[in-house]
Amino acid sequence: MNLWKKIRKTGRVAEPAPPRPKDKPPKPELAGSVQIRHVDAGSCNGCELEIASVFGPVHDAERYGARLVASPRHADALLVTGPVTRNMETALRRTYEAVPEPKVVIALGDCARNCGVFAGAYGVAGAVGDVVPVDVEVPGCPPRPEDITKALRGLTGR
Amino acid sequence: MNLLFPGALALCALASLLASIPPARVRSALAGTALAGAGAAALAAGAAAMAGRTWSAWLPDLLPLAGVRLELDALGGLFTAVTGGVITAAAIYSIGYARHAPRTAQILVPLFAAALLLVPAAASVSTFLLLWELMAIASLLLVLADHRARPAVRSAGVWYAVLTHLGLVAILGGLVAFAAAAGGESFAELRRADAGGALAIGVFLATFAGFASKAGIVPLHVWLPRAHPEAPSHVSALMSAAMVNMGIYGIVRVGLDLLGGGPRWWWLVVLAAGALSALHGILQAAVASDLKRLLGYSTTENMGLVLIGVGAAGFFEASGERALAALALAAALLHVINHAAFKTLLFLAAGSVLHGTGTRDLDALGGLRERMPLTTIVFALGALCASALPPGNAFVSEWLMLQSLIRSLPDGGVSAAVVMPLAVAAVALTAGLSAATFVKALGTGFLARPRSAEAERAHEAPPSMLAGMALAGAACVALALGPTLVLPGVAEVTGQVLPGRGPAADGAYLRAAASSLSPVLIAAALAVTVAALLAVLRALALRRARRAARLWDCGAGPMTARMEYTATSFAEPLQRVFDDVLAPESDVEVTHVKESAYLVNRVRFQAAVPDRIEHRLYAPAIALADRVGRASRELANGSVHRYVGYGFAAFAVTLIVLAVTS
Repeated sequence: MNLWKKIRKTGRVAEPAPPRPKDKPPKPELAGSVQIRHVDAGSCNGCELEIASVFGPVHDAERYGARLVASPRHADALLVTGPVTRNMETALRRTYEAVPEPKVVIALGDCARNCGVFAGAYGVAGAVGDVVPVDVEVPGCPPRPEDITKALRGLTGR
Repeated sequence: MNLLFPGALALCALASLLASIPPARVRSALAGTALAGAGAAALAAGAAAMAGRTWSAWLPDLLPLAGVRLELDALGGLFTAVTGGVITAAAIYSIGYARHAPRTAQILVPLFAAALLLVPAAASVSTFLLLWELMAIASLLLVLADHRARPAVRSAGVWYAVLTHLGLVAILGGLVAFAAAAGGESFAELRRADAGGALAIGVFLATFAGFASKAGIVPLHVWLPRAHPEAPSHVSALMSAAMVNMGIYGIVRVGLDLLGGGPRWWWLVVLAAGALSALHGILQAAVASDLKRLLGYSTTENMGLVLIGVGAAGFFEASGERALAALALAAALLHVINHAAFKTLLFLAAGSVLHGTGTRDLDALGGLRERMPLTTIVFALGALCASALPPGNAFVSEWLMLQSLIRSLPDGGVSAAVVMPLAVAAVALTAGLSAATFVKALGTGFLARPRSAEAERAHEAPPSMLAGMALAGAACVALALGPTLVLPGVAEVTGQVLPGRGPAADGAYLRAAASSLSPVLIAAALAVTVAALLAVLRALALRRARRAARLWDCGAGPMTARMEYTATSFAEPLQRVFDDVLAPESDVEVTHVKESAYLVNRVRFQAAVPDRIEHRLYAPAIALADRVGRASRELANGSVHRYVGYGFAAFAVTLIVLAVTS
């Protein structure tokens, strides 16, 4: 009973949906529904906090057709955060190979795009683009949830 | 003149001789061949007795005072035939398996087989008790065959010796009191005698307890999961597929045949004991990680199912519903036959796993599919048959049993309306759990990757062992596809045990009940469905280009055997569901480094699922006996004066008692 009361009292917390993206999605086969596997290639977990917020009740990316899944075998897109460390280089490459075609790679955050403050560090193998081909980039350290949602909506077209 | 049965016994004696005199190289081959012949002859003799050609013998000089009276009728014939079949498979198997076994064990196996064949043929109380004890002693010595190698064998032997002899005392008391009241000790005289009232109740309860302990019925089952795993595997098969049946035989013979049925509550007791055994047995089997212990508990479960059928038969008989009684009894007897077939197969396959790897711990096995492909196939067949799913053979008998229980509902009275749905639920739950149990045994034991060096080095069994297993497997398939082949014989037995209707009427009724499902059609439908699915999948797969991909292993290094499900982890969800019933014990011991309590040096984790009945019922009884024994040691301290004093006191007390009472 308490749960029902709480649901009624809280009401709707999701942000109103901004207008639909006008551009065509980069992979039209995936439009409408994109299953995403998140890979932490060496992130400081700042980006992860923002991803959690994107899929939380306020931004609720699932209503635009984006969904997190538990295995690259189930996924259409890889959401990679952090600079690619030496330990994660092979794993990232194998994860990329495990995703069925057609596939999309999103480099999330400044570290993923160009190694950010970790550029040149001894444990870093390079940016995500140095290891696997990147289709979409989201800048920011960490990126704002609105920006991440916008990038995901660009993929789903909704 | 029917010479099949004496011929089988003579071949047993010959096998025993062949196991003792010839050189060790050829011993097991000669004895195994002779014993296989004995088994085949006994199978034929039993089948002949079920078809109406009975055999009897009266040997007044063989045993002083009482003589030996043997008679193989339809009921005894069924159990002799089942035993004969098990002996044949086990004997062929033993040619390869027992090649290096000690000579005593090889000599004893044919003797044990002969005792097993003779028990259902005994036709007087003294003969029966003698043969019963011969069977118990022979099997006890066989259980102890490996006692030098493993200390666990001795403890199993002690448990078995004590429980089997307590059972013998109960049977002896019951049958001797019955014979004294009947004024004669042959079964024909007992059958004629009208034992009524308290005596009949006493006889029934005492013999039921004794026979139940032999059949491994809860709470007298504790010896079974200890002794059956410790015996050599072909002996385990004999014990688990043939010897436990003798408990069922005794209950049917004394309760339904000699006492001629009885009040309904007797059979409700039998039914309740059966349901309890079925559930307890399969729950313990589901969490067991020792392959042979799992099979031992599965025996308890199956004997429980048989007793549900026997109890229902007695209950219907007492309620005057002869047709239903015949159906329930036929289902129970059919399950005895089916259980013997698949349990022989499973124990022999477990023996070849033990032979090939040296371990029977499911947590250490795995990966046998590539190393022992034929054993894996026969074990899979046995597991399918044991899990009561179509097209296995246990499905047929459990289906018949469920039918008899459900058909009683419309007009069975209050007790039937309460008991029968519970029995149906128990049978259904047992069937579901046994499927999980055997998926665990096959999946963790034979598939995936080897979990230990022993499993890595596994090798396939020699041809004679494979031949024994193949024979048992063929019996399973035949029983699964053509249960109607044995139904006429079973109907002959129900016609004999439940008087008032002829075997012909029973046969017609059973055929009608059995024709409500057709095992051949089910098997054919399954095969067609699987083939069609495979064809569709293949057609779909061929339409797309194939690409070779790496197995997904989370992106990191090769997967190891330590990442696999073990038998324990597979059973964990079940164990959690039945937590209150099973009461598992786990123990975590953390050792810290000397310098700091915050740093852990070693963590030791131990988990076990003890048999709760054994824990709660037997441990206190043993502790009490131990205490009494210790206390009475004070009485005998070695002083001769004290012993003389005891003698004098006893003498004086006797005199006083005599003086007062006379």
